[in-house]
Amino acid sequence: MGPWSGNRVVDLTGLAGAYGTRLLAALGAEVIKMEPPGGDPMRTYAPHAPGVDGPESGLWWAFLSAGKKSVVIDRSSADGEAQLAALLATADVVLDDSPAGLQDRPVSGYSAVRVANPATSWIAITPFGLTGPRRDWTTSDLVAWASCGLASTIGFADSPPLAPAAPVQLAMHFTAVNAAIASMLALRGRRRTGRGQLVEVAIQEAMVSMAPETGVPLFLDDQVPRPRAGNRRPVTSPFGLFPCQDGYVAILALQPNHWQAMARWICDATGNEGVLDEVFNDIAVRHEASEAVDAWTEELTLAATKHELFVEGQRRGIPITPVNTVADLRGDPHLAQAGWWRDEDHPALGQVQVPGAPFLVSHQWWNWSVAPTLGQHTHEVLGGL
Amino acid sequence: MMDDDHRVLAGLKVFELSVAVAAPCAGRYLAYHGADVVKVESRVNPDVARLFGSAWARTEEYLPLFMDTSPYLPEMTAGKRSIGLELKDTDALAAAHKLIEGCDVFLSNFTPDALERMGMSYAQLHPVNPGLIHVMMPGFGADPELPYYPFRAFGPNQAPLVGLDALTGHPGEEPAGIASVAPPDYVAGMHAVVSILSALEHRDQTGEGVSLVISQMETTVSLLGPYLVDHAITGRTPEPVGNRIPWAAPTGVYPSRGHDRWVALSVSDDAQWAALAALVGGDALADPGWTTLEGRVAAHDAIDEALGTWTAAISPAEAAARLQAAGIAAYEVLDHRGVLTDPQLRDRRVYDVAPSVRFGRDLFTGHPIRMSDTPASVPWAGPNMGQHTREVLGERAGLSETEIEALMEREAAFGERVPEMTVTRPFDRWYEIVGLVGDDGAADGGEES
Repeated sequence: MGPWSGNRVVDLTGLAGAYGTRLLAALGAEVIKMEPPGGDPMRTYAPHAPGVDGPESGLWWAFLSAGKKSVVIDRSSADGEAQLAALLATADVVLDDSPAGLQDRPVSGYSAVRVANPATSWIAITPFGLTGPRRDWTTSDLVAWASCGLASTIGFADSPPLAPAAPVQLAMHFTAVNAAIASMLALRGRRRTGRGQLVEVAIQEAMVSMAPETGVPLFLDDQVPRPRAGNRRPVTSPFGLFPCQDGYVAILALQPNHWQAMARWICDATGNEGVLDEVFNDIAVRHEASEAVDAWTEELTLAATKHELFVEGQRRGIPITPVNTVADLRGDPHLAQAGWWRDEDHPALGQVQVPGAPFLVSHQWWNWSVAPTLGQHTHEVLGGL
Repeated sequence: MMDDDHRVLAGLKVFELSVAVAAPCAGRYLAYHGADVVKVESRVNPDVARLFGSAWARTEEYLPLFMDTSPYLPEMTAGKRSIGLELKDTDALAAAHKLIEGCDVFLSNFTPDALERMGMSYAQLHPVNPGLIHVMMPGFGADPELPYYPFRAFGPNQAPLVGLDALTGHPGEEPAGIASVAPPDYVAGMHAVVSILSALEHRDQTGEGVSLVISQMETTVSLLGPYLVDHAITGRTPEPVGNRIPWAAPTGVYPSRGHDRWVALSVSDDAQWAALAALVGGDALADPGWTTLEGRVAAHDAIDEALGTWTAAISPAEAAARLQAAGIAAYEVLDHRGVLTDPQLRDRRVYDVAPSVRFGRDLFTGHPIRMSDTPASVPWAGPNMGQHTREVLGERAGLSETEIEALMEREAAFGERVPEMTVTRPFDRWYEIVGLVGDDGAADGGEES
């Protein structure tokens, strides 16, 4: 049984909160996801399972809503707002990602709920905060990466800046994990104070806090701009992505022992003895000569597959990894042997292999019941109010 | 810890044996909420964050304090205590064990076999501290039978391994990768915090200790959930799509007036599209086929061209302001200078300034979880290397002055170097100029607590 069992969480969030409430549900909390009558927008996000119609086909929904309950409330009616307020008053934690101006609605906002139940905590996830000149601005995953400085550093110099792994929506998940941590801290704090509290998580700030590379302290210290430099980092060589027979590998030869192993490998594989010259042990010399060192490295990498290079390079003590695709990961021997995947019997999707737990624990904590159907728990939850 | 410390984790004792980012990131969350986090450091094998130092400190004058100067240090260690212990020495190791006996949390991203050699595996520590929450953060799990167990990875090459780099790029170009930042380090660090807070609940309810393994690969791969499930069902593999997402079109980065200036925007529904078309004006976006999401997804390239013509004529700040006024998510693609001068970050006091023994005061990124009743804070910036060795070994490990002296004598323990030498960061005066510090004196130097 999960450590947060016995706690009720009401989830009024979309992508900026959903991964966090998935964690809370998996760790035992009763997470009640409020949906509008037509279903949550996340249900419409592609990809969808083929051959499944209606609101249960969305795979974002299936992944992010595992372990949760679905309650349908029509918030556009006064009755609905009252119903929601009654539900919120039973919550230990409410997570809301409405725009700042809508977080304190008269009937179902945080002021009203805290009057009804002072023990309830409210996690306000907003794009830019509840205060400040841009409190009313809206955001998206891409806009969040733009607003923390990181997008400006990712991509090639001659093409537009990029969000990292845009399809994954990492900025939303970073924020959501912060919101889960905020929920847990609020619950722990209540032990001492007996009270709930308002906790703010701003998406821009969550991103700035994991981006010291573009943050003010580093920039003030060295005053060095960090422009987009493609997939090779202009620090030394080899450092970055290198083409191989079936894709790319990532190589990071920073430490002297890493380079020496790399040089020996290049020599063994290509017969290049010049690479062993001690002058290249200096990280700065390799930076100067990066065109040549990169070319020698490519001669090695182009002759093998990414998995071959991964295993052989690691055997030699070099931090090298394959640039994996989703298909590669699904076939990855480490994940398979770790028993990481779970087999799920999903009522709409059938038998399907899904991601396992994000970490290992010495106790039986995880609840992985499947995502709810639209309104599956409306009667049970609202009837119990 | 002060008696009137209302922070949520006040009283929690954490032993942090860490390098670089993943474990320090987790320890930093705990320190901000009041935990006493003791970071163990080595001069023989210093944390890479110490080795970065600062460009301005590469002079003979500053060399003695070089390892206290990296701006990464306050980022990773603000509010923590630093002790110098060389754990290859048996007496130093014994002192570390005494510390761990009195701790609630053991947090490390050393490899599992390194920890086992030091007698610091969960199985080894559990008998002496049955309530201990033991956290390991290896790259590839803690099971020696697994194929990648002996492999090494650093944050920047974990991201490609777990599928993030292959999804970063414009279609038809080679993968751009994510060289400038290492998301898996932070993903793992934040999951470690989730696991520790959950384990504290478990321990409070049952009295039992908990072993936690946050394996960077598994933790980060989890975030690809929908695509992993899709592949399981259909065999489909997602391709890099630039900045596009299927449920909000257009979404992208558009050129602005000036050199290498860009604005990011996302249109998330048809009403926003209508507002955008009205904002741009004329018939640039008037194609009736573009009024639905389906139509816009199909015509994304043509829309990008039309929209880019409009954005290219104005500054990114103006474009963002006008788009937001119309209800559309948008922001200037900030570079370093943009972050420095961003009015929202400034108004919200996102950066913290706190006392520092070395610098008088120091600057670092603040904490993203703002609690109204029990606010997070740290009493000091990054500690000097070994700044707290004597007090921690005395108070927390119960060593006598003589025992501490003996350890230091043979360099099995060390205090801070040149403690009398202080320096002002070259940019110290900037704090007021750029408005990072207000008139309320919040950042006045002053005494260290």
